[in-house]
Amino acid sequence: MIDFQNVSFSYGEESSGGGIRNVNLTINTGEFVLLTGESGCGKTTITRLVNGLVPHYYEGNLEGDVLLDGKSVSDTPLYDLAAMVGSVFQNPKSQFFNVDTDSELAFACENLGYPQEDILKRIDRTVSDYHIEDLMGRSVFALSGGEKQKIACASSSVLLPGIMVLDEPSSNLDMAAIDDLRQVLSLWKKQGKTILIAEHRLYYLHDLADRVLYVKDGEIEREYTPAEFDSLSDSTRKEMGLRPFSLSKLKPANQYQAHTAKLMEFQNFCFAYKKREPESLHIPSAELPVGETIAIIGLNGAGKSTLARCICGLEKKCGLLQVDGKTLDWKARLKHCYMVMQDTSHQLFTESVTDEVLLSMDNEDETVADEILKQFDLLEYKDRHPLSLSGGQKQRVAIASAIVSNREIIVFDEPTSGLDLKHMREVARSLKSLADQGKTLLVITHDPELVMAGCSYVVHMEKGQIKESYPLDVSGSKKVLDFFRIRQ
Amino acid sequence: MAREILLSKKTEQGLRLDPRTKLLLIFIISIFVMGGTGGEAMGLIRLVLCTVPAILLLTSKQCAKAVGYIAMFSAFYAVQIYVLPHLTGILNFLVLFTTGFFCRILPSVAIAAYAVKTTTVSELISGMERIHMPKEVTIPLTVMFRFFPTVFQESEAISDAMKMRGIKLGGKKPSKILEYKLIPMITCSVKIGEELSAAAITRGLGAPVKRTNICQLKFSFADVVLILFCCFVVVWAIASPIISAGGILP
Repeated sequence: MIDFQNVSFSYGEESSGGGIRNVNLTINTGEFVLLTGESGCGKTTITRLVNGLVPHYYEGNLEGDVLLDGKSVSDTPLYDLAAMVGSVFQNPKSQFFNVDTDSELAFACENLGYPQEDILKRIDRTVSDYHIEDLMGRSVFALSGGEKQKIACASSSVLLPGIMVLDEPSSNLDMAAIDDLRQVLSLWKKQGKTILIAEHRLYYLHDLADRVLYVKDGEIEREYTPAEFDSLSDSTRKEMGLRPFSLSKLKPANQYQAHTAKLMEFQNFCFAYKKREPESLHIPSAELPVGETIAIIGLNGAGKSTLARCICGLEKKCGLLQVDGKTLDWKARLKHCYMVMQDTSHQLFTESVTDEVLLSMDNEDETVADEILKQFDLLEYKDRHPLSLSGGQKQRVAIASAIVSNREIIVFDEPTSGLDLKHMREVARSLKSLADQGKTLLVITHDPELVMAGCSYVVHMEKGQIKESYPLDVSGSKKVLDFFRIRQ
Repeated sequence: MAREILLSKKTEQGLRLDPRTKLLLIFIISIFVMGGTGGEAMGLIRLVLCTVPAILLLTSKQCAKAVGYIAMFSAFYAVQIYVLPHLTGILNFLVLFTTGFFCRILPSVAIAAYAVKTTTVSELISGMERIHMPKEVTIPLTVMFRFFPTVFQESEAISDAMKMRGIKLGGKKPSKILEYKLIPMITCSVKIGEELSAAAITRGLGAPVKRTNICQLKFSFADVVLILFCCFVVVWAIASPIISAGGILP
C-alpha cells in the first residue's frame, strides 16, 4: 500500500516548476493508477516520491510523509527501497548501467549482494516471463528503443518488488513496442503488483488502469474511474490538456487538397551504413509532392531516419534527388534541407535566441530576426540562452533558424515524442504555418495524433523501402489508422 | 554507430583467458619489455615474453594482427642485431633509437590490443572485484565504459547539426567550432550522467554490502601456465643478479 500523507515538495529555488502541494493519496496493493496532466504539473515528482529519488537524490523542501506498507520513504535508504519499488524511466538511452543485457538484468541483485545461483535463477525466470530470450547476451548499444525499454522493465523486476513506478515509459516507442509494453504491464497487474504510471499517451492503458488521477499545478485535481474518464467529452479533455484515452474517434484535422503539381523525385535512392552490409534504405524510384506536410510512418528500423539523413545530405552516396526538376547533390541538400532533431539541444549553439537565428542568416539582420521570432512566439525569450528554454521552445528556435536560412525542405525527427496535448498541438501549429509558407515538410513520427492533426500526405516505410505513399484523404486516413492498429 | 571501448558481449573465438591473467601479462610485459627492467640477464626471457602476444593473437583468431606484429617486430629486431653494428655516428644513434623504441613498445601494444579485443566489460569488472579492487575504482570504470560510447553518439549528432548549419572549417564562424561543439556536449553529458545515476541508485547501487557478480571466472590450464611463467620471470629477474654476483651460496 502506498500512502501519501499531506505531502508537499518543491525543488530547490532555481527551478520553480514540477513541485507538488498537499497531496493526499492512498493506493491499495494491486491497484493500477494512472497519473496524467500537462508537462511540469508534478506527476513525475509523485513517482519520484515513491521510488525515493525524492528526497534522497533530488533535493528540495519536503513536508508530509510517504509510506510504503507503513515504512516512511524519507527514512528508508534507497538501496532498501530498491527491493520494494521497481522503476522504469522515460529515456531508454540513459537507464542502463551496463553494456550488456545479462549484466543489466543481474545489476540490481549484484548490488544487493545476492548469491550468484539465486541471481541466475531469478534471471532465468524473468527471461521466460518477459519472453526476452532473443535479447539476452546482446550489447545494449545494439538494441532498439523498444527493446531497451523491455530490458528496463525486466531488470527493474528481477528483485520482485511489489510496487512498480513508471515515468512516461512510452515516450520514445513505436506502435509495436507500445504493444509489448502493454503486455508487460498486464503481466505485472496479473502478478498483483501495485502500479503507478505517469503518462501523456493514454490510449494503451485503456483496459489496464483502475483509477485515473488528473494532476494540475502540483495538486491532484480530480480522480476518475476508467468509465468516468472515458466519458469525458472531447472539449473537456482538450481543456484539461490531455491526449485521448481512446483513439477510435481520431480523424484528420484538414481536408486534403493538392497544393502544387511540383514533385520531389528519387532515383536509385539506396544507402548502406557499412559496405557489405544490407542496405538500410532501398528506393529504386519514387515521387513525392512538394509543398505538403508528409508524415513518414513505419516501425523502428524501417529506414525512416536513414531516408531523412539522406535527404538532408548527412550521408553522401545515396543516389539521385531532384526537386522540381533540379538535381540536388549532397552538398546542395545540406543547404537546401534542414532537420529538426529529436533532441533539439544538439543543434542550438549560441548564447542567446537572437544569436541562434542570426547565425543561420547569410547577412545578419536583427530586424528580420525579430520578425521571425515574433512569428514563432519567441520574441520575449530573445535574450535567453537557448538551452535554458523548454523542449517546445527549443524546437521552435531550431525551426526559426531553418526558416531564416531559406530551407525549402524541413525534416522533423519525432517532434512530439513525450509531449503532452498542448505541446503536440503547438507542433501541429508550427507545421501548419510552415506549410502555409510553401515549405515541404517531412515528419518522422510514431504519433497517430500528430499525423491526423498536422499532416497532409503519408509515406509508409517498411524494410528500407517505401511500401506505400498516399494523400491523407478519407481512404488515406483509414490506412493510417490500420497501420497504427486503431479500430473504429 | 556506437564506438565501444571494450566488448560488451562475448565472441566465441578460440582460447579464452581469464581477465586477471591478461592484466598480469600486460603488467609483466610493460615492466620487463617496455620498461627494460632486469638488464642483460633478462635477454632471452625478454624475447620469449615478446612472443606471448603473437601466440595469444593467433589463438584468438586475430591472424592479421598477429602477422603484422610478428613482421614488424622481427624487422626491427633484425635491424638491431644485423645492421646496427655496421653503422656509426648520427645514423647509428637514429637507428638505435627507433629500433629500440619499437622493439620495446610493440609487445605492449600487441598484448593490449589482444586484451581489448577479447575481454568484455563484465569480465574485466568481475576480475577486478576478485582481486579486491575497491568499489571506488570499479564503479567509475563501469560508468566510463557505459558513458563514453553514449557521449560519442551525442557528439556525432552535434557534428551533424553543425554540418547542416554550415559551421565548418572554411565555413561560417570557424573560430567558434570548439565552443559550439563543447557546450551542447557538456549539457547533454550532464543530463545523461544525472539520469544514469538516478536509474542506478533505484537499482540499489551503493548498498553497504559486498557486491556479487554473476560473471563466472575460472582459471583454465592456459591461465595456470601463463601465470606460472610470469612468476618465473619475476623470480628470475630477482635471482639472476644475485647468482651472477657470486650469490648467497658460498
